[in-house]
Formats: sequence, structure tokens, C-alpha cells
Amino acid sequence: MRLRSALSIRSLLLFFAAALIFILCVIPFASLIYRVVSADGDFSIAVFGDVIAAPAVRLAVVNTLKVCISITALSLIVAVPLAWLITRWDLPFASRARSWLSLPFAIPPYVGAIAWIYLANPSTGLFNNVLGAPIFNIYSVTGLIFVETSFLYTFVFLGVTSALDRMDSSFEEAARLSGASPWRVFRDITLPIIRPSLMSGGLLVFLAAVASFGVPALIGGPARIYLLTTQIYNFQRIGSMSGFLKAAALAILLMFVALFLLIASQIVISSKKMQTVSGKTARPSTFSLEKWKWPAFAVVAFFWCVVFVAPVTGILLSSLSRTQGDLALANFTLANWTRILFETDETVRAFRNSLLTAAGAATLASVVAIFVSYISVKTRLKGRAVFDLFSSLPYAIPGTVVALALIMSFSSSFLGVLPSLYNTLTLILIAYFVKYLSFSIKTMSDGYRQIDDVLAEAAHMSGANWSQTLVTIWIPLLMPALIASWFLVFMPALSEMTMTLLLTGPGLETIGTLTFQLQEYADASGGGASVLALIVIATVILINVIVKRVSRGKYGL
Amino acid sequence: MSTVEFSNVSKAFPGGAGKAVDDFNLKIASGEFVSFLGPSGCGKTTSLRMLAGLERNTSGRILIDGVVVAEPESRLFVPPEKRHVGMVFQSYAVWPHMSVFENVAYPLKISKRPKAEIAQRVTEMLAVVELSGLEQRMPSQLSGGQQQRVALARGLVMQPKVLLLDEPLSNLDAKLREKMRVDIRAIQQKLGLTVVYVTHDQVEANTMSDRIVIMRAGHIVQTGTPDEIRRAPVDAFVADFIR
Repeated sequence: MRLRSALSIRSLLLFFAAALIFILCVIPFASLIYRVVSADGDFSIAVFGDVIAAPAVRLAVVNTLKVCISITALSLIVAVPLAWLITRWDLPFASRARSWLSLPFAIPPYVGAIAWIYLANPSTGLFNNVLGAPIFNIYSVTGLIFVETSFLYTFVFLGVTSALDRMDSSFEEAARLSGASPWRVFRDITLPIIRPSLMSGGLLVFLAAVASFGVPALIGGPARIYLLTTQIYNFQRIGSMSGFLKAAALAILLMFVALFLLIASQIVISSKKMQTVSGKTARPSTFSLEKWKWPAFAVVAFFWCVVFVAPVTGILLSSLSRTQGDLALANFTLANWTRILFETDETVRAFRNSLLTAAGAATLASVVAIFVSYISVKTRLKGRAVFDLFSSLPYAIPGTVVALALIMSFSSSFLGVLPSLYNTLTLILIAYFVKYLSFSIKTMSDGYRQIDDVLAEAAHMSGANWSQTLVTIWIPLLMPALIASWFLVFMPALSEMTMTLLLTGPGLETIGTLTFQLQEYADASGGGASVLALIVIATVILINVIVKRVSRGKYGL
Repeated sequence: MSTVEFSNVSKAFPGGAGKAVDDFNLKIASGEFVSFLGPSGCGKTTSLRMLAGLERNTSGRILIDGVVVAEPESRLFVPPEKRHVGMVFQSYAVWPHMSVFENVAYPLKISKRPKAEIAQRVTEMLAVVELSGLEQRMPSQLSGGQQQRVALARGLVMQPKVLLLDEPLSNLDAKLREKMRVDIRAIQQKLGLTVVYVTHDQVEANTMSDRIVIMRAGHIVQTGTPDEIRRAPVDAFVADFIR
């Protein structure tokens, strides 16, 4: 009798978590497709043809390809040599340089866009003012590629450094003893062995570039350079049903491109996987830079200044400037700070809304992950792999598409049960939950994997039922993973911009949308967006430090 | 063929407590088979890696063939790729993206030998390690013992001054290990090689070596032929270890 009731609580909770994932992560996309193909009453895919035929869309496709391929190539070209230099040469301050260069990974790229607009816009950009001539123009394809790359290279950098760490160092040592120079070792041994991580890093950059919205909107917008995501936004902003359908049709195409790339790459990468990890952890020998030690360090330091110090300093100066781009001492003021923090009603609302929705999504995702990760790691339930797949679906799909799919599914009353969620904070919270749930599940699954089943079995033998075991054994042991999981959702959700811009409405400002509004039109004298961007940077770095402490270096940068 | 000399060699790792190797002195004659024997952490692998150039000694000097290859006091350091020594690693380090032939041919390719010579030398070397006919296999299609032989052939193909072996047999099963002991010793005698062999297994050291160097906590405890050490161990640690 006791066993049966325990089983039923367990199955009920597990079933509930599974159902939630299915409803929130799968149905919206299905319903997006259904609504578009059945728009004129009967089944038709003509709308896709119409959308592709539009010249604006064609141009957006060409722009997207051009920009994203350049970003990917450039990211590989900068990140791979940096990773090699830091892990294989006797570079001064190598381990510190590694965390410095990883930092941009945690910062939302739109912050960089705001910084670079301050530094290098054609009319009042600081660099142009200092040089006395309009040399830099950030509102250009080059500017767009530059700003995106200065953040997205971290995807390759992090992946490749960790592959180089894991690689058995005797592969390279054997080559050196065969007489190979450092460059030959890299070309003949290192590069072929890390190729899978290189490819998946490059693919992540490409997908992130295709999905990116903030930078293309802020930098491409003024130059009238539109990518697929910004074109979808333009269609949706028209506000009519036909505009909405165009946006949705384009979104579906974008979604399939992303999924196709992801699946294709998984097949390529898994077929090329090689056993390169050994149990032996000898301290790897490093190449000696000799007299190039400090020149090499200077190059790394300069690169870090370009990708991190310059934009952060730019944002700080911008937030303190009365007139943007003017370095005169009299121009510095705290007026932007007081205006934004104390004289703008939206600011308080934005912070309240962002904190509420991000915390709500983080809590919900972590709770769901407790159950879902339990299923996928600790049970042999048939079809449990489906949860991982379903929950990672929204992460792979561009945020613009996720937001449209959620609007489609929840704008009218859902299955006649729930009221319409359009223009509510709840829908924004759901969007964050759906988008970042896979972070939680991955973290919690790692956590479960580290805990031996016998601990739970011992609790069962002591007479505890399933839910008692969950509360008294699993959750306390999983606490570090649970905290990391919560922050890993909270952090990106707090400053999210792409999805929120489509889901927001009057009174629903968030930090992301308010920053966008201030930068785009609402803050005429400028500097207001920089105040918020600086707060975002400070928060992100603070949270990273907390996560790294709590997880003892496992998560965080 | 080639001699090796360690003279007052020490190694301190940055941040490490004490020295990993402390005042190591040893002369190895040409054609001699010397084993470094001791428990893990005694400094035997570090000593070998310093001879290979994979670690830098922090003081003292190392000579190969009478030529100084590492002497921090005079800022002299010859990198591993210029020392002309062969090495076999515990994990074999057979490159997974190259065939057996390509693995063994690599050192010759680096030194830009003509193609015909490479083919001939690789074929000869594979015959020595009894792998003839497996030239086109990929490492993933080989057993552990076969990968071990590929690593050995690769280490020998460039006719190195010295061959270094770092616990090469520890990942093999007992039967294979016995055969490899005999084979490695036979190859060494046939080619007249100078060999430095690192192990924690006293049977390997006893059956293969001309001389054994017993180490503990970074120091040499005793040096001698297997017979000498068995008959007159200097202390209880050696007696216990060699038994």
C-alpha cells in the first residue's frame, strides 16, 4: 500500500514535468507552423513562396549569409591562435589571460553595440572626435561584423581551450621528440585532433550570429542593413495580420535552417569523434616563447583591450557624458544616472519586471529540471532521451522565432482553459523558461551523475519513500548544482532583449527593452542606455563570481 | 653509440613543496640499459622527462653524447625536437588520425628524407616490431599491444641517440607484458641501443636492465646491477622494494 502511494506521487510529478515541457517547448512551434500554413482557411504553403519572393527578404538572406559567415571565419581566426598560445606556450599570466578573454561570453552583445556606437559612430563617435575626422563608421556591415565577433569568438575560444586541456599531452610530446617544430606539432597533430571542437565552436558562432537581434537592430538599423531577425521584427511591427503572417513564415524558415545545421553538424561531429583523452594527467610541457614572451603578451593584452576594456570604458564615459563623444572635463556629469535611476518611471518598472520574470523563470526551470534530469539520468524509462531533445529545441531556435511561436500559441485562450497571455508578464516569464530550460537540465543532469545511486538506495533501505528520499537525500546533495542552475537561467533572462521586444507592451518594460528604447529613440541626449548597460555588466560579473564560488570553479568564467 | 650524464640535476615545480628531483647524479654508458625504479611520485618520470627536454631542470646539467643539452646556470636549453632521442609513452600516444605507416614515418618526414628511404626504413622497422602487413591500419583498429609496438617503431625509426621508455608496459595484460619484456630487451641488444626505462615494477627492472637506479622522494637510494642490489640492498626500503 505504502509502495503504491509512493509510486503514484513519483509518477504524477514526473508526468507533470514531462507534460509541461511538451506543452511549452514543442506545441508552440507546431502551432506556429499550423497557423501559417492554414491561414487562408485551407492548407497552403504559398505564403513561404510569397515571403521569399519579396526583394527585402532576399536582401536580408544575402546580408545574413554574408555577415554570419564573416563572423564565423573571423572568430575561428582569432580564437584558435589565442587558445593555442594560452594553453601551449609559456605566456606570462596565462591563466589570468584565459579568464579575461572569456569574460565577453557572459555579457549580452547589445551592451557592446551601445559602447561601440558611443566610440565609433560617424557623427559624434569618440574616436572620430579625437582624431578630428570621421574615420570610423560603426553603422556599417564591417561595424556589425566587428561588434558581433568581439563577443562570439568566445564560443570558439572556450570550446577549443577546454579541448586542448582535455587532450592527452603525450600526442604532442611524441611529435616534438620526432623532431617537429612547434608549428609542425600544431599543424600535424594538435589541429587534426581538436578539429571536432573547432567545428562545433564554429557552428555555435554561426547559429548565434544567425539568431542575433540586438546588435543587428542597433547597428544595422541606422544603416538600413537588415538581417533575417531584424526583417522578421520589421514585419511584426507592421501590426497587421498579413505582416504577422509574413513574420511567422520567415521565422519558420529561419527555424528550419537552424535545426538543419544543428542536426547536420551533430552527425558530422559524432562520426569524427576520436578517443583522445587519457587517464594520465601529466603536466603538459609548454613551448618556450623566449624573447617573444612580452611581445606575445602585449598582443593578447591589446586584443583584450579591444574586446573588453574599450567597450566597458566607453560605456562608463558615455553614462557620465552630458554630450556624447566629448572628453572635456566640464562635460562629465552624474545627470544621466539621476535622470534614469530617479526621474524615469519606466526604470523602476523595468527592474521590477526583469527581476520578477527572471527569478520566476529560473525557479520554475530549476524545479522542473529536478524531475526531468532525474528521469534522464536515474531511470531507465523508455523515451527519456526525448526530454533532452525537447528542452534543447528552443535553445537552438532563434529567440525571435521562439517569441513569435509563443505569441501564436498563447494570444488566444489556450485550449479553452487558460486566458489569453498576450501582453502579460507571464508570457515573458514563459519565454525565458522555455529558452533557458536546457541550461538547468544540463546542470542538474551533471549533478545527478556525480551522485552514486547507493546513497538513495540506502535511504530506501532505511524506510524512506521516493518523495522523502528526494527531499532528504537528492536535493541537499544537489544544492550546488541547483544554485548554479538557478543563476544560469537568471543571468541571461535578466538582460534578455530579443524575445522580450516582441512580447513587451505598455507597462511591461524590462531592462533589455528599456535599454533598447533609450538607445533607439527615447533618450535624446544619449547616455541613458549606457547607465543601464553598465548595471547589466556589473550584475553579470557579480553573478559569475557567485556561481564560480558556489560551484567551486565548475561553472562561471 | 651514445652516453648520457646527469650532473647535480634538480627540479622544483613552481608552487610545489620541496624538490621533485634533488641532486641527481648518473652516468650511463653507450649501449647500456638502465632502469629508474621506484614508487609513484619518486621523481623517476620527471628525471626521464628532463632528459627528453619535456621538463626543464632548475639546476645542474644534463649531457647527451658529451654535449650539454640543459644547463639553467648558463641559460642553455636544447628543446626536445633538437635532442634526437626517441620516446615511448605510457599511453602510447599513437596519433589517432594517422595510419600505422604514417605514424612511424612521421619523424623521417619531419627530417625531410626521400620518399623511397622513408618507405624502406618504415618497412624494416615494422618488421623489427613484428607488425609487417598492418601498415594501412588505423590506430583504432589495433590492440593495446599493437599500438605499443607502433609507438616503439616510431621511437626507433630515426635511429635516436637514446631511447626513453616511460612505463610502457603498465597498460598491457600480464601475458603480453612478459612477451614485450623479452622483445624490447632483444631489440635493444640487436641495435646496440642506449635505453632509459622508467618503471615501478621490480620484475621488469630485474629482467631487462644492465643497471637499476632505485629512487625515493626525489633522491637516488641505490645504483647497481640487479644482482648487486638483490645481494646487498642498502636499506630496508630497497630490500622491500626489490623483493
